[in-house]
Amino acid sequence: MSLLASVYRELRPWLKLLGRRRGRLALGALLMAITAFAGIGLLALSGWFITATALTGMLLAAGVAASLDVYVPGGGIRFFALTRTVARYLERVYNHDSVLRLLADLRGGMFRVLVRLDGQALSKRRASEWLNRLTADIDTLDSLYLRLMAPPLVALLAIAGLTLLIGVFLPWAGALAGGLLLGLWVLLTLGQARLGMAASQRRVASLDRLRSRAIEHVQGLAELSAYTGLAAHRRRLDEHQQALYADQRLLGRRAALGNALVGLGVGVTLLAVLWLASLAYARGVLSGPLVVMMPLAVLALAETLGLLPSAFTQLGATRAAARRLNALGAAQGAIDDPRQPAPLGSTTPRLAFQAVSLRYPGALQPALEQVSLGLEAGQRLALLGASGAGKSSLAQLATRLIDPQTGRVTLDGQPLVELALHEVRGCVGLLTQQGELFDDSLAANLRLGAPLASDSQLCQALATVELDAWAEQAQGLATRVGEGGQQLSGGQARRLCLARLLLAEPRIVILDEPFAGLDAALAERIAARLDHWLAGRSLLLLCHQRAGQPLAALGVDDWRQLERGKMALSEGRR
Amino acid sequence: MGQQDSVLTPRRWLGRLAARQRRLIGLSMGAGLCVGLATIVQMALIAGWVSALLVDDAEPTSLAGLGVALIVVLALRAAAQWAQEVAGQEASLRIRQAARSELLAHIEALGPVRLGGRHSAALGGQLVEQVEALDGYFARFLPQLRLAVAIPAVIAVLVLWLDWLAAIFLMLAAPMIPLFMALVGIGAERLNRQQFAAVSRLAGHFLDRVRGITTLQLFNRAEQASAEVHAAADDYRRLSMRTLRLAFLSSAVLEFFAAVAIAVLAIYIGFGLLGYIDYGPSPQLTLFSGLLILLLAPEFFQPLRTLSQHYHDRAAALGAADALVALLNLPLPKGAARRQPSDGQSVVSLDGVSVTFAGRGRVLGPLDLTIAPGECVALAGPSGAGKSTLLQLIAGFVDSDTGRVTVPAGEVAWMDQRPLLIHGSLADNLRLAAPEASDADIERALEQAGLGELLGALPAGIDTALGERGAGLSGGQAQRLALARVFLSGASLVLLDEPTASVDDDTQTALIEALKALTAAGRTLIIATHHPALMGMAGRVVRLEDGRRVDEVMP
Repeated sequence: MSLLASVYRELRPWLKLLGRRRGRLALGALLMAITAFAGIGLLALSGWFITATALTGMLLAAGVAASLDVYVPGGGIRFFALTRTVARYLERVYNHDSVLRLLADLRGGMFRVLVRLDGQALSKRRASEWLNRLTADIDTLDSLYLRLMAPPLVALLAIAGLTLLIGVFLPWAGALAGGLLLGLWVLLTLGQARLGMAASQRRVASLDRLRSRAIEHVQGLAELSAYTGLAAHRRRLDEHQQALYADQRLLGRRAALGNALVGLGVGVTLLAVLWLASLAYARGVLSGPLVVMMPLAVLALAETLGLLPSAFTQLGATRAAARRLNALGAAQGAIDDPRQPAPLGSTTPRLAFQAVSLRYPGALQPALEQVSLGLEAGQRLALLGASGAGKSSLAQLATRLIDPQTGRVTLDGQPLVELALHEVRGCVGLLTQQGELFDDSLAANLRLGAPLASDSQLCQALATVELDAWAEQAQGLATRVGEGGQQLSGGQARRLCLARLLLAEPRIVILDEPFAGLDAALAERIAARLDHWLAGRSLLLLCHQRAGQPLAALGVDDWRQLERGKMALSEGRR
Repeated sequence: MGQQDSVLTPRRWLGRLAARQRRLIGLSMGAGLCVGLATIVQMALIAGWVSALLVDDAEPTSLAGLGVALIVVLALRAAAQWAQEVAGQEASLRIRQAARSELLAHIEALGPVRLGGRHSAALGGQLVEQVEALDGYFARFLPQLRLAVAIPAVIAVLVLWLDWLAAIFLMLAAPMIPLFMALVGIGAERLNRQQFAAVSRLAGHFLDRVRGITTLQLFNRAEQASAEVHAAADDYRRLSMRTLRLAFLSSAVLEFFAAVAIAVLAIYIGFGLLGYIDYGPSPQLTLFSGLLILLLAPEFFQPLRTLSQHYHDRAAALGAADALVALLNLPLPKGAARRQPSDGQSVVSLDGVSVTFAGRGRVLGPLDLTIAPGECVALAGPSGAGKSTLLQLIAGFVDSDTGRVTVPAGEVAWMDQRPLLIHGSLADNLRLAAPEASDADIERALEQAGLGELLGALPAGIDTALGERGAGLSGGQAQRLALARVFLSGASLVLLDEPTASVDDDTQTALIEALKALTAAGRTLIIATHHPALMGMAGRVVRLEDGRRVDEVMP
């Protein structure tokens, strides 16, 4: 029972999500039930009809006057046959539509969770790994209704209907059939779930492990084959495959056990009903056609029950997926927006880091240790440091992509965590090193910075970074940038990202290696235009070293040095 | 003929894989046939019971024998059904294992360079996902394919014997079946293709947004982007419902014919039993034969319905095989005819070698180079001059089209800009280079590579676990770890491809000191670099341009 309770607890958020489409799902289950009942009706009525005609035929042949209305049952058989076909078609169309709607809900909901995560949580996996993880888990969850909720419910309804159908004529037989089938239902749902729980919970995780070994094997071909380490790594990979397949084998065998049990259980129930009906017939309390109708009705249940074993053997997979997604959505690693945010003035504020420390989970050394730094309103400061010194971490702190473990970051003395998130990010603009672009048009990518900007404003921003001529040669603002900006060279992509940031009009600007990959003359020209734009704004420029940077053109006067997560003592003015 | 056979097609590959597990697939089919036969016997026993009770007025107690027989048949049927599933699954497991080994062996034989521009993460994923996608085809579809013919045939013969007119009614639906199968087949394939395209479009959209999540956060677009993700998924729903409706319709047609056939049969049998039909075998119909025919009618159609349910397994397997066979068709190197181990002396000697890449022409050579044991040689030149290709040639990752390559036998130490970091402890990562190394050896190698300070700070020492892709290590630390591998391995020949690119100054200095130590230990170093300090420490700088040596400087 405690297992059931914990499964319920883990699935509850998702059941709630399903609950939003309650009406649809109920209608889908109803269609499923109609299909099941039509199947029972078809077989039961056919059996009744043939027996009745055979017995009447025998009487007629013996010269006894007898009559049988063949038209009503004949019509009934055609009705059930047609109903089953039509209901099944409608059910499949309707329920697949529902499942796809749920999928859209799940994807949208998942993304909403993901987009709230901080940089630490996000950096744990590559984007493609997030995608794998999310699609695998969401696919496992979206069949929750179609495999785990509707079929057992419909099976229960069918069992109840059958119990009534038989019970009306022969209460004992009805009760026995109901009891046996209910027992079978419990075995096929809860029993199978218990049998498969441990192994199916491991399913996605062991597949993940095998995948990461396979990726290592391909990525490391050079080193592995040079050091003659291929065989050893292959053994590791094989171990993971063995573990995965041992679980699959176990689950397959247990599901097969459940499938075999369906036939056996239905057959035994049929025999029991047939036996009781035969006894009743011998006592003269039941007619011959009804003796045949009852076991045949039982037989028709096999199809409904047959959906349960494999679905419930894999219940653990759904549970594990729900658990992982729940953990992702839990507060840990998420950026919280304050309920009652403090107000932020409309002038350029002073940005200050006060003894901030940051350590990434699992990192062997802290990324930042007791770093203090101030950026006055209007100040233009260069922060120097080797890669890995902690510059990017500081930038992430200033835009609340991450919160520090100790210390605080303030704007005009207000801690960032007390300000509304959109205010912070509207005030502090960051050009990241990666410079992410979306598979869309130039205009759409630029309008991320300013949704309401006119075409001429966009063109002006492109001119600032000298992309205007290039864009005109291509399809103008409608030019597609390709997946991740592939259609652009690295330097073009950087400049496009810079143009996007300009359009957003932040009051504090943080540029992380803005001129990487640009030739010096171009960097100088862009810097000169930026100098003009920067009037009234503050600038924090992050770069490796002073050499090669157009600091004069940018009007950067001061510099500070960051070394392995700590502020170095050296600082200076131009 | 040989040429024809060497081109592998997806179908031929699937056939070859299945042939290796013919016995298990046969067992699964045999067990499936037993299930079908047991079902027929089960139905006959039920019809016999009913007939004995109602027509022959037998006492229920006298039917106990039939009851026992029914229980035995039910048990046999359950056992056969279990065996059918388990045998099919076992065949599929073994086939997938064999397929994965074949692919891995091929990838290993191709080596890192010949895989071309394939993204290694995507390729690794393919080895897992697409091989798993073969499951349903071998476990379910293939055994069911024969059963879908065999079981209806047995039932048709039985019904023919019971009442040939009824058999005709049943068979009237039969010509519809191949037609329907083709319909479903075509539908399923097209559906699968369209579905696949739509899914990858949706996945692409999602991946695009996930990749750019930081940007969406920075520009306050989180809520809008979530709504867009929902809208894209909803668009996908509308699109796929269009195809799904059609696909379900074709299987509804089969169901419709089956249902009509059953209804017509029931009415024919009923009227025949009433004596309304005088034609043909109808007057001879009994409750037993009539009921048995009725009970067998759904079983006649069941195997086909099952097969059509498994049809998407086939489409999925063909789709996966398509991609995997493309990989298997990448030609293997023609063999190491131009390579030979240097005897005793451990000399590296290249004699008139040249390397050509498809589409890029000749990238290296013709070129001669001899490197004596213990030498430290820097390869310099602009990017694209062939420095890396030369290292790859010495390592054996690419082949020379001409001349002769002589290298020391056994392992070489290799280090490039992106060191391999595996999921495991520090020690696991180092033992890649020397599986037999002791803990003390590993600690010493880490110290030599300048990671002694870090090691001292780790409570778990060399057993400290590294996260996925070496999470926890900085770029410089990862590079030093790769260097520790070089120290740990006993390889006399050390090949380094831009070892100091993308690391900070401190690491650079430490790396150069460590490389000096390696030279002092008598190892042969060949370094592709454009770093002046590295060239400075080399005993000889070989300058390349457009794949040829342009000069040689003795510093």
